[in-house]
Amino acid sequence: MNAVLLLMGLLVLSYLGSFLFRGRATTGAGLPSGVEYVALGFLFGPHVLDLVGGDMLASFEPVVQVALGWLAFAVGLDFGYAGEKRVRVGSLMLGTLGAVVTGGAVAAATWCAVRALHLGISPRQQVLLAGGVGAACSETTRHAVRWVVERQNARGPLAERLNEVAHADDLLPLLAVAVLFALEPTPDVVVPLALRDWPAITVGIGLLIGGGASLLMRNDLKLDETWAVLFGVTLLAIGATARLALSTLTVSFFLGMAMAALSKHGPELRRMVAPTERPVLLPALVLAGAHIDFQSSPKLGLVAAAAIGARLLAKLVLGWVLAAASPSARKAGGLIGVSLMSSGALAISIGLAFALRFPGQVGDTVLVIAALSALFGEFVGPLQLRRSLEIVGEIDRAPVTGRAQRPHNLGAT
Amino acid sequence: MSGEAPRASRKGAGHHALQALLLLAFGSLLFYVTRAVPEVNGGLWMISAIGFLLLAGTLLSELLAPLGLPHLTGYLLAGIVSGPYVLRLVDEHTVKSMSPVNTLALALIALAGGAELDLTTLRKGARSLGWAMLTQCLLVFVLVTGAFMAVRSLIPFARDLPLGPLFGVAALWGALAVTRSPAATLAILSQTRAQGPLTSFTLGFVMASDIVVVLLVATVLGFVRPLIDTSATFSAEGFKNLAHGLFGSVAIGTTLGLFIAAYLKLVNKQMLVMLLGLGFGVSTVLDYLQFDALLTFMVAGFIVRNLSAQGHKFIQYIEQTGTVVYVVFFATAGADLDVPLLKELLPVALLMAASRGLITYGASRLAGRMAGDPPALRRWAWSGLVSQAGLALGLSVVVAREFPSIGTPFRALALATVALNEMVGPVLFKLALDRTGETSRVQAPSFASIGTPTTPE
Repeated sequence: MNAVLLLMGLLVLSYLGSFLFRGRATTGAGLPSGVEYVALGFLFGPHVLDLVGGDMLASFEPVVQVALGWLAFAVGLDFGYAGEKRVRVGSLMLGTLGAVVTGGAVAAATWCAVRALHLGISPRQQVLLAGGVGAACSETTRHAVRWVVERQNARGPLAERLNEVAHADDLLPLLAVAVLFALEPTPDVVVPLALRDWPAITVGIGLLIGGGASLLMRNDLKLDETWAVLFGVTLLAIGATARLALSTLTVSFFLGMAMAALSKHGPELRRMVAPTERPVLLPALVLAGAHIDFQSSPKLGLVAAAAIGARLLAKLVLGWVLAAASPSARKAGGLIGVSLMSSGALAISIGLAFALRFPGQVGDTVLVIAALSALFGEFVGPLQLRRSLEIVGEIDRAPVTGRAQRPHNLGAT
Repeated sequence: MSGEAPRASRKGAGHHALQALLLLAFGSLLFYVTRAVPEVNGGLWMISAIGFLLLAGTLLSELLAPLGLPHLTGYLLAGIVSGPYVLRLVDEHTVKSMSPVNTLALALIALAGGAELDLTTLRKGARSLGWAMLTQCLLVFVLVTGAFMAVRSLIPFARDLPLGPLFGVAALWGALAVTRSPAATLAILSQTRAQGPLTSFTLGFVMASDIVVVLLVATVLGFVRPLIDTSATFSAEGFKNLAHGLFGSVAIGTTLGLFIAAYLKLVNKQMLVMLLGLGFGVSTVLDYLQFDALLTFMVAGFIVRNLSAQGHKFIQYIEQTGTVVYVVFFATAGADLDVPLLKELLPVALLMAASRGLITYGASRLAGRMAGDPPALRRWAWSGLVSQAGLALGLSVVVAREFPSIGTPFRALALATVALNEMVGPVLFKLALDRTGETSRVQAPSFASIGTPTTPE
């Protein structure tokens, strides 16, 4: 397959993806994690049908970086908001705690597994691998709760709380990525800087560019000028950090967060950017799938099992914390934490970012485990979420006929 | 200028100072990064280059607006300053690797150009356009050819040529002088949202002259070949290829236009992704078939506008991509500008550009009188015909390829002259639109007025 055909294929996917998003709501077919597109990419990739070869994938790296950066920018713009509403402080804390507990547990389990299995990688690479898997497995995709809620026409305090938690757990994994990327600076950088400065620079670039863009948008810009500024700042941030071999995901996320916080046009920005998320996501997922290599590491299955097992355990613990804090969650039973098992776009983006930044065993293993975790989450997360919402009476047990109505209380982004 | 007045008044000196500061800050960041990581994979570097050009172009155009300069000048300046010959924020390799983005931009610009052409308006102005076409193509060609021969002693590579080859080279220069810049015209019209006789005339002329120029250039190439290269003979093969290319381009353009019209009528969703796909896909096919992309997309836009009821819808979609497309296109053109070469050839290039400008002015006055144009059009019709850009540069590449003996210096002089026309032409055209009162006072949709979900679909 030549580059133009691949590009056209990605555009077709993007086109199809745009139909899965209307206004601020997901519609049509598709899984919340989008893992089916990862599978499609894997099928087309160099390790199965080889329709998209390794060289071709390398030449598409700029496209991938831009797609990942844009997605992270959209996540940053939306961070701490569920629809038009700000996420409550309790949910924000719960989301952050969830990310710490899950990411920490997964990273620890992966590190132990890697050490016990003697994978033949250096101690620093062990940290990178464990940290990367922890970061990729720590979040719950924002789409999962919305997906169930919109299809089942659910409404109520538990649905609202879970939606908010899913919207508030992206900060720490992305900070972790910035730190991990800084552990191995590229030799191309000729300016000497202490290791501890790189994560601060990553976050600083995002915040500064985001702050600058917010100032630019203080006055009324024309709509097309606004797009020019938005594309300009994100591409500048992505390109500059990619050149410094820092985390483009983190910088774009903080860029979005800064703009949402500092610009008086935050809601308009979210409305502008939200519909672009799905069209960018699908091609990115396909390219991520094409990068997947199950031969990347010996005993990959065992490492993945340790990571996913730890994730399940951590989510169960998180569910108990949630139950302790919220009466509606308590009513849903002890498995409520499993409802938050779904991971997706961000997890796979982190995996892909690692695969690009640390090609070989470390990066490829992170990507594979991120994809497997998303796949596993797809089987258990939405199912348990539906069950929990049924138990607390936030979903009618009677089958929903026709198109489900969008609940007003979630706003859904 | 008038159209800019309300916005300019809202945006005071403080706002412009802030814009200047932010431009400096963004530039400093990129400057630091280029120095911190001097060697890097070109593809990755392209990302920040496009981002910075977008930002710098948008900001600089805002900063220059109070001076009455068109946005396009800001885009070009942004490219020149950040390009490989000044600050080196965007290096030469990156500029070259941005050609697919430029191809896409050109496709969208040509679509917009075709869609702006209204058959009824063209019919009304047919007399003016006909006379202008005759004088601007024939007279400009003949007189610029003559001017080149007259000043040959000042042109290093033409100085010692015998009469035959000299006439051949001069004729090539004359053909080059006939080319205009549809992209520059559309960029100015997109900014000013102008409407009126001058707007319609310039738009109609610049778009239609594309076909005439293609024909003229092929004819001149065929005839001068034996003059410059004594071993060559006249061949009609070129004309056969030309006819093939022209008919092919029109046929594909018509099909594409009908497809877009049907899509707008039946689906009318996600037009941006559709346009991206069409831009990349069709450009690749056209490149393979060696058809004229500009003409094809222009015809497609024209068909949507005039043979369907979807024209206005289509223009709205295209306008949403406006600033992004024009900034990328012209800022890249600015970055591509060979500043040292321009400096070296400045006196001769100035002479050639000035002579072309004067001849264009004279031809325009003559055409206006013959056609009985209204006074404003008679006075200002020439202003939109000075700009030159991609078409002229493309022709200079063809000449360099076909005639290696004079190719390199000819192309260098063409680059320098086109650069001058590219910078001066848009300023003149905007000035004319402001003076004739055609610049619109109606503001484009503002970002803050978004009440409902909005995206450039």
